[in-house]
Amino acid sequence: MSEKKIHEDQKYIDGLLKNNSFIIQAIYDKFAPKVINYIKQNSGDSDQAQDIIQDSLITIYNQANEKKLELTCPFDAYFFLLCKRKWLNELKKSSNKEVTIKEEILYKGDDAQELAFETDLFGEKQALFTEMFNKLGTACKDLLTATFKIKSMEEVAESLGVTYAYARKKKSLCIGKLTELVQSSPKFNLLNN
Amino acid sequence: MDEQDYILFENYILEALSETEKDAFETRLKTDSKFNESFNTYKELSSFLEHKFENEATSAAFHNNLKNISNSYFEKQKAPKKVISFKPWQFAMAASILLLIGFTIFNNFSSPVYEDFANYDSINLTVRGDQDALLKTAENAFNSKDFAKADEAFKSLMLMDKDNTELKFYRAIASLELNKFDTAEGLLIGLSKGQSVYKNKATWYLALSKLKQEEYDDCLEILKTIPEDAEDYKAAQKLIKKLD
Repeated sequence: MSEKKIHEDQKYIDGLLKNNSFIIQAIYDKFAPKVINYIKQNSGDSDQAQDIIQDSLITIYNQANEKKLELTCPFDAYFFLLCKRKWLNELKKSSNKEVTIKEEILYKGDDAQELAFETDLFGEKQALFTEMFNKLGTACKDLLTATFKIKSMEEVAESLGVTYAYARKKKSLCIGKLTELVQSSPKFNLLNN
Repeated sequence: MDEQDYILFENYILEALSETEKDAFETRLKTDSKFNESFNTYKELSSFLEHKFENEATSAAFHNNLKNISNSYFEKQKAPKKVISFKPWQFAMAASILLLIGFTIFNNFSSPVYEDFANYDSINLTVRGDQDALLKTAENAFNSKDFAKADEAFKSLMLMDKDNTELKFYRAIASLELNKFDTAEGLLIGLSKGQSVYKNKATWYLALSKLKQEEYDDCLEILKTIPEDAEDYKAAQKLIKKLD
C-alpha cells in the first residue's frame, strides 16, 4: 500500500475498537450534530438519524476488527460521508416517497470519499453474508458455528460425533455452499462492480 | 465449482497442500478467472465467519455500550428546552445573584483552583466478562462522587485487569479527588508516557494535581507539554495565562 500518513483522528477508530466510552461519547458530541442536521434536511427525522449513526459506527467497528482500518483523513469528513451514503441507500430502499436531496460539495479530499466508500461496501457485504449464512441448512450452520467458535477441528469433530476428516471436508463444502449462495445473489454482483 | 474445488480452497488456506499442488493451484488462480473469483469469495467468507464468531462476546459488549451512549445522547436532544417567565421581583433577585457571582469570580481571579478546571463527565465503564458487578459499583460510586468507594473498587478491578488504561485513568481521578496525590500522580505519569487514548488527558490531570497542591511552577512546566491537538489544549492555555 501507499505511504499515506495516518491521521491523528485514528484515535477515534482505535477508541471504538477498544470500546472506550469516553471516545464514543466524544464522537457523538463532536460529529453527530452535522449528520442529524443533514438527515433532517433530507426527508429524515431524529430517530432515523440515530439509527444511521449507530449503524455507521458498528460498520466502522467491524471493519477495523476484521481488516485494518487506517484513517488518512479527518474522522469528521469520513464519518459524515459514510453516514450520508448509508442514508441515501436507505432512501433508495424506501423510494416510494418523493426524495429531495440537497447536494453540496462538502469535502474535496478523495481520501475521505474513498475510505467512506470502502467502509460502506464492507458493511453491505457483511449484511449480505449474514443474510446468506442464515439461508444455509441447519447442519451447515451448526458445523460452521462450532468450527469458528471452538477453533480446534478435532474438538469440533468430537462434539458433533463425526470423524476429523469428515468435519474438515464438511467445513469446506459448507463454506462452498455459502460461496455459491453469495455469488448467485443479484446484490453481490452489484456490490462487486 | 465442484466439491473438490472447495476442499482444495480450504487446504490452500490451511497451507496443507504439497509444493506441486500449491503451484498448480496458483497457476489455476491466474488462468481461470471463475476459479479465482470463487476462491476470493470463499476466502472473504472464511474471514467473515472467523470474526463473526470469534469476537461475538466483545462485539456484543460494544453494541450494548454504543446503544446506551446513543440513547442518552438522543434523549438529551429531545428534551424540551424550558422557558421560564420571570416576575419583576425575580429579576431583582437574579440581578443580585449575578452580582454575587461576579464578586466570587473577581475574588478568584488571582489564584486559579483545581475545581475550576477539573470537569470530567460521569463515566460509563466498559463491561468485560464477569467483572460486571464491581464495574457497576465503581461506576455508580464515581458518578455519585463517592470517591473513596470508587477508589476501592478501581483498586480491586485493577488487580484483575492491570493494563486497563480506562481503569487507571479514572482511579487516578478518584485518588486526586481524595488528595491521594502519590497514587494519582504515579498512575498519571504512567499514562502520560504511554500511547493510550488517555495520554493527553493524563498530562492535563497531572498538571491539575500540581495545581491542587499549589505547586504552580511544576504545574506550568507540565501544562506546556500539552500538545496543540489535545482536547484540553485550550483549557491548558487558559490556565497558563492565569498562572504566568
